[in-house]
Order: sequence, then structure tokens, then C-alpha cells
Amino acid sequence: MNRATRIAVIVAMAIAVLAPIGLVVYQSFLDGPFFQPKTAFTFSAYEFVLDDEDFFDALYNSCVIAFGMTAIAVPVGAMLAFLMARTDLPGRRWIEPVILVPMFVSSVVLAFGFVVSLGPAGFVTLWFKGTFGFVPWYLYSKTTLIVIAGLTHVPHVFLYTSSALRSLGSDVEEAARMTGAGPLRTALTVSLPMVMPNILYAAVLVFFLGFELFGLPLVLGDPEGILVLATYLYKLTNKLGTPSYQLMAVVVVAIICIALPLVALQRFLLRAANRYVSVKGKAAAQKPVSIGVWRWPAAAMIAAWLLFTVVVPISGLVLRAFVSSWGEGVNLLDVLTLAHFRELMEFPNLTRGIVNTLLIASVGGALSVGVYTMLNLAAHRWQSGWTKLMDYLVLLPRAMPGLVAGLAIFWVFLFTPFLSPLRQTMIAIWVAYTLVWLAYGMRLVSGALLQIGPELEEAGRIVGASPGRVSRDLTIPLVKVGLFSSWLLIFVTFMREYSTGVYLLAPGTEVIGSLLVSLWGTGAVDLVTALSTVNIAMIGGGLLLMSLFGKRSHG
Amino acid sequence: MAKLIIDDLHLSYGSTEILKGITATFAQGEIVALLGRSGSGKTTLLRSIAGLEEPKKGVISIGDQPVFDAAAGLNVPSEKRGLGLVFQSYALWPHKTVFENVAYGLRLRNVPKAELQQRVAAVLDGVGLGHLGDRYPHQMSGGQQQRVALARALVYNPPVILLDEPLSNLDAKLREEARIWIRTLIKRMNLTAVFVTHDQVEAMAIADRIVLLDGGRIVQAGTPEQLYTEPVSLFASEFMGVNNQIKSRVQDKRGGYARIELSGHPLWGKDRAGKGVSEEATGVIRLEQVEVVDGPGGGDGENRIPAELETSVYLGSHWEHVFRCGDQTLRAFGRPLPAGTHWLHLPPEQLWVF
Repeated sequence: MNRATRIAVIVAMAIAVLAPIGLVVYQSFLDGPFFQPKTAFTFSAYEFVLDDEDFFDALYNSCVIAFGMTAIAVPVGAMLAFLMARTDLPGRRWIEPVILVPMFVSSVVLAFGFVVSLGPAGFVTLWFKGTFGFVPWYLYSKTTLIVIAGLTHVPHVFLYTSSALRSLGSDVEEAARMTGAGPLRTALTVSLPMVMPNILYAAVLVFFLGFELFGLPLVLGDPEGILVLATYLYKLTNKLGTPSYQLMAVVVVAIICIALPLVALQRFLLRAANRYVSVKGKAAAQKPVSIGVWRWPAAAMIAAWLLFTVVVPISGLVLRAFVSSWGEGVNLLDVLTLAHFRELMEFPNLTRGIVNTLLIASVGGALSVGVYTMLNLAAHRWQSGWTKLMDYLVLLPRAMPGLVAGLAIFWVFLFTPFLSPLRQTMIAIWVAYTLVWLAYGMRLVSGALLQIGPELEEAGRIVGASPGRVSRDLTIPLVKVGLFSSWLLIFVTFMREYSTGVYLLAPGTEVIGSLLVSLWGTGAVDLVTALSTVNIAMIGGGLLLMSLFGKRSHG
Repeated sequence: MAKLIIDDLHLSYGSTEILKGITATFAQGEIVALLGRSGSGKTTLLRSIAGLEEPKKGVISIGDQPVFDAAAGLNVPSEKRGLGLVFQSYALWPHKTVFENVAYGLRLRNVPKAELQQRVAAVLDGVGLGHLGDRYPHQMSGGQQQRVALARALVYNPPVILLDEPLSNLDAKLREEARIWIRTLIKRMNLTAVFVTHDQVEAMAIADRIVLLDGGRIVQAGTPEQLYTEPVSLFASEFMGVNNQIKSRVQDKRGGYARIELSGHPLWGKDRAGKGVSEEATGVIRLEQVEVVDGPGGGDGENRIPAELETSVYLGSHWEHVFRCGDQTLRAFGRPLPAGTHWLHLPPEQLWVF
């Protein structure tokens, strides 16, 4: 790419990122929706929200939940990472892929799973009651919400800690062993402290995700009226009867104001962490640490965690989708049915939702990867103020939870005359998805681009290729494999996305995620579980493809 | 005729100056080695010629055509300079076959298909890989990859070919063969070549002329023989060969020679740095120039000193002896020697005083 193209691409991205945020901030200072002819500037929306007890309740709950789940997810995730990456734990190769499942299943689906398994009338609850005569838990409390949120976010901590542990050379541990430290002491005084920056990064990430939590509190907090910031925003739409855009805008501004420093902190920590690990130790062949008889309690702990966060909710959900009724004394084998799935097919909006989801994930995902690649190429091997600007711009959408970004994009399409005919098409959904996952997608693609040495491109310039031809003939073909695996990850990500489409939901723009959220509100549990099962199956297909592809490209 | 002219080239990364004013001329058909330690600026200079780095001051001309002129704001992009560059890592494109790697430069120049086939085949034959065009780079050995990289740089007849440490990735045995092979090939094609190396033996073996760089400046430029036998500075003498160093003070000066002292014995050597009497100076003599002699000799026994044999090392083709003379050691090559005191002769014309 030449300089002018690069700048044009970066400017286009700046507009796409800044327009929604600008519109939200502008709206927050108005006394009515921005499209009404007679609106005036005012602080009244801020005054209203800051006077609302529910807002502070929600803010407080968000804080408590974010702290609580960080306190659970970090130690469990770090321990899990150490066991999987560094020890001779039995069955490591089988457990590893399962650990990441909670990351790939949308949290609203997981939440449904917990309801049908562990809710007051859930499968597990009824079985426990029948066997022991009592039930020692209550699903809809804040404590349960924190525990579930914490345990389902263990994979995030696991991912960052285990990759750091793996890149740590065995030599630093062997050096500790040679000077006389036992395996446990080595872990506590050498291995874990060396990856501390990565653990810290993961902690901030989980805390940040805690603030953004939407699916879990929507499903699990609602029965007892436990609101968090995102669900407060969602409920606000109905609170005053009419859509109160200015109030929603104020809440969005509040969420962005809290999220932005957290995003900046994450970025800072990630850089520090990468610097720390990359200079230490030689990543030679690693020998696992033998933990002796501790293998069995450790394996049992992992099994218990997997049972609770993966097996119970997902099997409960799938089972629920295939039975017509259940309760005390009902033999599940007698009530097996496919009726819910047949019913699913009778609603055109639901079938459309399934098709749309497949389209947005496959075609839309590919287009998004194309956009992320363009953006990456614009900044590729170019040191300038423009690329720095881009670095910061990428962070902004990260500070908008999907729900918020969806709302902002909805407004942009409403506000901009030439875009408004597209508002009720999948294009609006695609723009929102691409924007929400901008930072993630950019990182995937740049990871692929970084794999090719600069001299491969320089060699192209030397033999006479212009920058554009170098991109076309050399860079892109070389990263093809990396781009394909990026697309697979984006495919799964778009498949499970549920919150971004919520405000964009209209005839023609249905996706499974947003349909699930709205169906749950109507109480159509049969349809919700059937649709969730379809979603899980689709994600499973994506993951299968990914592992097949991974095997092939490794072999 | 000058093919490549570099005039007062300066380059910095941020506040670090890498090139501090390089001026050099490269003649048609000449092979020049840019020699220096890592960090001397030799690779940066090569990349500046290639257009991969942007100097902040100076002029680079190829043929009669300036390709870089900071004052005029001229910086011709790499692809328009038409040069050939062999990368240290070879940088072969892994997704293209050997044939396609080599053909790419011709495709960019819209060479007709038949001619392209014929030219690629010819250049691959030239590097001895005529039969391997269908292979992918990863299916080849390091030595073969290096030949492909060279073929890719040669196929479109660049006016100047640049080589960045072309032999550093080959093992020792292969490297010795490749030196001779590369020199023969470049000479046969009558090309102008500039190559970067940190190995003075490699530089001497391949180059017609060596440009020795240190700290972003040219220390000395000349034929390999000039650099080896007439180094202009202590650094140059140290870089080009294996030396004995004698730390002393200048005792006397006479007719282009200076007298220094080794544990009380006077030694005359060529005055190479113009140090004044009683200034600190270093005497330098190549190991192979130190002779073991029978005794103090006749006449005034000039430049002969007694030394105690400390140890001897067998190196196959010869022995290396380590002698002690007062507080300094001297090394020399020679036949096996019995223990005890021996006389060494350090010929004045071979001893340089810096």
C-alpha cells in the first residue's frame, strides 16, 4: 500500500470508530431523541440517571460481581494453567480442549443451561431433592451469580497464564532444581512469579469482563431483581414507557468511562508481560514436573470444575430441548421428543435467525477478516503518527460492550440519511459485529502478519515489486493460512455473539443470539432451549473444523 | 568507470548515529567487501544502497543516475533502483517454487513467456540448479537455497548486486567452497558487487577491494593486500590478522622508524601513527612474522630478544609457541622447540608502532 491509501484506510477506520461514540456523547446532552426536530442541550439526562437509585445499585452490583469473579477465576485459572502446562497430570491432552468450552459458548446460553439444570425446578435440583430430601443452593442469589461468573471465566485466565508458562524455558526451572528447590517450591518461587505479569493482565481482563457482564445477570439476576450496568441499560428502554434515548446515552457514557481506563491498563500490562517473558529463559524442550500422588486430587478438582461449568449446564440444556415435560416422578425416557425443534421451524423469524447467523458468521466473518487485514496492512511496517493513532483507536470499541456498541451502531444508522435504508438489513449487524470485535480481530490478523520476516517483503521490493504488488503477491499468500484460522475463530465468535444484535433486532436482522435474549423475556423456554441447542451444535461444528484444520496445518 | 558512488552519507535511528559520513566509489566489475564488526554500520550502509533505509544526509548514485539525494529530497524506492540483493537469511518466498522465486523479477518486468523461461533456466544453470526448478525452498539444503537467492538477484541483470553476509548461514566446509564459487561467478558475469561480512578471511578471499568500517566511519579502504600489510591504525591491524601487541613508550625516532622497548630490549619498528618520543605506543607484529633464531646474531643484533618458551600448541600444519619476555607474552609459529630460552627476531619493517 502506498502512503495515501494507508492514510485513507486509517481515516475511514477513525470515522467508523468515532462516529458511534460521538453520537452517543452528543445524545447524552440532549433532552430528547436526536432525530426529533426540537431538542435542546441540557444536563437533565445526567441529573436523572445520577438521581436514580437503581443506577447506583447496578453500579455497586457490577463492582461486587467483577471483584468476586476475579477473586475466583484468577487462582483457579492460574492453578489449572500450571497443572496443564507444567505437570504430568493424567489425561492432560484430553482435558485441554474442553477447558476452553465456556469461552466459545455464549454466556446467555450457559446461563439458560444453569437455569434448566440448577434452577428451582431444574434437572439436577429435582434429582438432588429426590435423593437427599433438600436443596442446599439457590440459583438466583448474588453469591451464586458471582460463583458462576467466576468459574465460567476461568478459561480466560487459563489461556494467558498457560501460554506464558509454555513459553518459559525449562532451564530456569532446572536451574532452581539444581540449587536445591523441590518441584512445589520451584513452581511457587520461580515459575509462577515469572508469569505474574500475565496473571495480572488476565486478572484485569476478567475484572473488565465482569463490568461488561450481560447474559449471566440478565438470566440469573432478573428473578430477584439484581441489576448490573448492562442489564440496567437494557431495562431502561422499558422503564419510562417510551424509549428514552438520552438516558440510555448517559448510561453508555458511564460504561465507556469505566471501561476505557481498564482497557488502557490491560494494554499496558500486556506489553509489560510480553517484555518480561520473552527475555527470560530458552524455550527448549520442556520436561513436565512430577507431582506424585497429588495428581489424583488435582485431576478430581479439574473434573469437578468441568462438571459444574461445562457438563451440567450444557447437558441440561440439550436434554431440556428434547423433552416435553419434566418434574418429580417423570421418567425422562418417556417424554423424549423432537417437537420443540419442529416448532422452531414453524416460526419464520427463528429459521431466518438461524440462516442469518450462519451467514453473518461465515460470509460476514470472512468480510470482517478482510477488513481487519486491510487495516493491518495499512499499518504494516510503517512507523508514523498515523499508526500510533490507529493503535489507540482500536481500543475504543473495546470499551463498548456488545450491547452498547449495538445501540450506538443502531443510532448511527438512524442518524445518517444515506445509511438509514440499511438499518434493517444484515449490513447493520455486520458493521456492529465488525466494530465490536475490531481489537480482537486486529490482533488475530497481526499475529499472522508478524509471522513473516520483513526480509521476505524487502526481497520483493528489491526485485522490482511496488508496495501494492508486494502485498498482493507475497504478503497475502504468505499469511493465507493464518488468515483462514483467523476466520475460523471469528466464525465461532460471531456465532456465539448475542448482545450486539439486541438493539438491532428487527424483521430481517434476526440472529440466534439476539433472538434468544428476546425469547427469554417472553418465557418461551421450549423454543429457547431448542434454539440454544442449535447454536451449540453450530459452534461445535466450527470448533471441530478448527481442530481438524489445526491438525492438518501442524502435520 | 564508477558504477556506484556514495557521498557523505549520514543515517540515524532516533538520536543514535549509525552512519557518520561515508564516502566511497565502486568501479564497474569490482567486488567490494564492506567489512566490520556488528554495529559498525556495514549492513545499514548496504540497506541504504538498496533503498531499504533512508539516510538523512548524503547522495547515492548508480551509474550516472542519483537514486538518493537528501538535499534534493530524492529517494527512489527500492523497486525502482533495479538492484539485486541476496539476503542473509536468503528470504526465499516459501509459497513459490524455485523457478517462480527466480522468475518473479522478470514477471514484474513483463518479460515475454518464452524469454522468461529461457532466462530463468539459464541463470539456474549458471548456479548449478538447472534441474531443481520445481522444488520448493524448504525442500533444499542451505547451500542450494543460497544459490537460488543469488539466481533471483541476478536474473534481471542488475547493474550492482548486493550481498548481505551471503555465507554466514553455511557450515564451515561449504563456506570455503562457496567463497571461490561466488567470486568466480561474479567475475565471469563481470558484475559490480558489494557484500557485507564480518569475517576478514572471507573478505580477503572474495573481494577485489575491502572497505573497513568502524563506528559508522570508513577506517581504511584498499586491496586485501594493502589492508593486511599496511593497516593504517591499530584497529585495522587487529581486525585483519592475528597479532602480538607490545605495550611500551616511544624511546627514539629516526627516518620513519620508532624505537620501543620490550622488558629492556630495544625494538625498532615502522612509525605508523607519528607518536612523539616518550608517548605511549603499541608495537604490533603478525604472528607469522616473528622468527625463532639461533642466537643474538652478529652485528648489533638488532630487534632480537631472548624469551622463555612457556607452552606450545600443535595445530596440525604447524606449532604455535607462547613465549614470555618480562611481563609480556609473544606468540610465534614454527617447528617444535625444546623448553628453555630462545631468541626471537622481530624484523623492523614488519613491526608497526601505533
